Amino acid sequence: MAKGIDLQSLTVGYKNPVIEQATFTVEQGDIVALIGPNGAGKSTVLKTIVRQIQKLEGKVFVLGNDEENLSEEDLAKTLSMVTTEPVRPELMSAYEVVATGRYPYTGRLGLLAKEDLERVEEAIKLVGAKNVADKDFMKISDGQKQRVMLARAICQEPKVLILDEPTSFLDIQFKIDILSVIKRLAREKNIAVLMSIHELEFVPAVADYVVAVDGGKVVKIGKPNEVITGPQIEEIYHMKKGTGAPLVESMWQYAKGLESILKSK
Amino acid sequence: MNNSRRYGLIFGIMIVVLFMLFIITVGMGSADIRVKDIIKSLVNPGDVYLGKIIISIRLPRVIAAIVLGGALATSGFLLQIFFGNPIAGPYVLGISSGAKLIVALVMVGLLSQGVYISSMGMVIAAFIGSLLSMGFVMILANKVKNMSFLVVCGVMIGYICSAITEFVIAFADDSNIVNLHNWSLGSFSGIAWDDVIISVIIVFVTLLFTFYISKPIGAYQLGEAYARNMGVNIKRLRILLILFSSILSATVTAFAGPISFIGIAVPHIMKSILKTAKPIVMIPATFLGGAIITLICDCIARTAFAPRELSISAITALGLGPVVIYLIIKRREVSHG
Repeated sequence: MAKGIDLQSLTVGYKNPVIEQATFTVEQGDIVALIGPNGAGKSTVLKTIVRQIQKLEGKVFVLGNDEENLSEEDLAKTLSMVTTEPVRPELMSAYEVVATGRYPYTGRLGLLAKEDLERVEEAIKLVGAKNVADKDFMKISDGQKQRVMLARAICQEPKVLILDEPTSFLDIQFKIDILSVIKRLAREKNIAVLMSIHELEFVPAVADYVVAVDGGKVVKIGKPNEVITGPQIEEIYHMKKGTGAPLVESMWQYAKGLESILKSK
Repeated sequence: MNNSRRYGLIFGIMIVVLFMLFIITVGMGSADIRVKDIIKSLVNPGDVYLGKIIISIRLPRVIAAIVLGGALATSGFLLQIFFGNPIAGPYVLGISSGAKLIVALVMVGLLSQGVYISSMGMVIAAFIGSLLSMGFVMILANKVKNMSFLVVCGVMIGYICSAITEFVIAFADDSNIVNLHNWSLGSFSGIAWDDVIISVIIVFVTLLFTFYISKPIGAYQLGEAYARNMGVNIKRLRILLILFSSILSATVTAFAGPISFIGIAVPHIMKSILKTAKPIVMIPATFLGGAIITLICDCIARTAFAPRELSISAITALGLGPVVIYLIIKRREVSHG
């Protein structure tokens, strides 16, 4: 399988390093969950990959190309993202927000061709946002907004999708919907997905691999059942000894239920 | 009605209104001129008795109000996008006053040496002044990320620059400086053809470039992070926004002095008429809207108490100030509701 994202000894941070020497890969078609306590630097890693902040050291490869050698446009055509940053567009319908994802493909004036409109419609349908498409983006619920932003990222036709806490602040129904869309994208369109997530109970049902960060470095990489275990969770999240096991047990129970829901979707 | 037809209709109406206002305002003034005579004098200036008034006084003034009013509104629109702040504008951020100060300093300095400054020299001085106060505002904007703070700082910079300008003008003892006083309050009075021609060239070239970057400007409206992800070169876009908005507002200040409220209010008025904030529509729309409103305000300024002339900012503040207050209140309701 081809490598969607490949980080090699990547050190990220602002002036001082937040996470040092991170090395891991997200294959195309795989979903990798980035976990770790608040402030561990998950977002910093994601922001560095999308070039929002400059890396301090190391390499980022996207589809085998060194990111340093990619132009803004080339990167936009291969990688898209959904951040936690609130978007406040003025007088824009949800449809128009989704359509901004076509930016790298439109001409000088940004007019949408027939093919662009088809992609936009397709993305809106995929995330189930048809009923809000014509509404003012500022007047729809947070859950709907998140769907719209995901649709925006999708119609950018990425090969790599970066998601910063895509399910935070949503109710359970929206969380399940978003996760099922992400899963379909990875499987059907062969997209490499890297997402940070706080809800560990969702991870086994969604992620193929887990990367855990803490204390300025990557502390564990593996399949969900290798990383989400009592002792590991205690260590990563600095919890009291013995508290991890019962918690993880109930998480796996939860994950089973979630998995069957996602399968039925 | 679909959007593009609605935009077309609104643009059509604005162009017709602007043309009608053009004819009407050329005719209005201490000597009332009939429409028939205006057209005659435009076709053949020598033929009409009042042709000289039209050609050498009214026409340059009306054209200046149209072109510079449009430029000012467009500059406001660009600044609002740059700062992500709905109450930004060249006047309120102190950029116009900075331009005014440098122009006054250069003018008075050169006059004391017996040198008259050229039109282009005025624009360059205003541009440098604009960039200086813009730089200052940007430093402050970086320190404290707060909309109201930014505006308060801008207003303070404006007051400080205006105060220094007052000193400069008051102590420059020269009869040529008398005109400077009117200009420093904002007025299209006494604008010459040379100034008009230079304004038209600078403003239209800048507008063309601005329109050319309407696509990345549109992306920027979703926030920096998403714009970057769409492939926008953020650094370059920010520089261009600063450059174009400064050139536009500097040209206005160089020839008409600082004019208040057009830059803030017109973009909002056009947004609520067109129900969109898309730059590809808004750039030409704010220009036309700014031209229409400035033309009306200038006509009132020179005819309401003729032969006494009011400063144009007196009219724009009276007419548009309440609009801005209404917009701020309405916006608060939306963001809190």
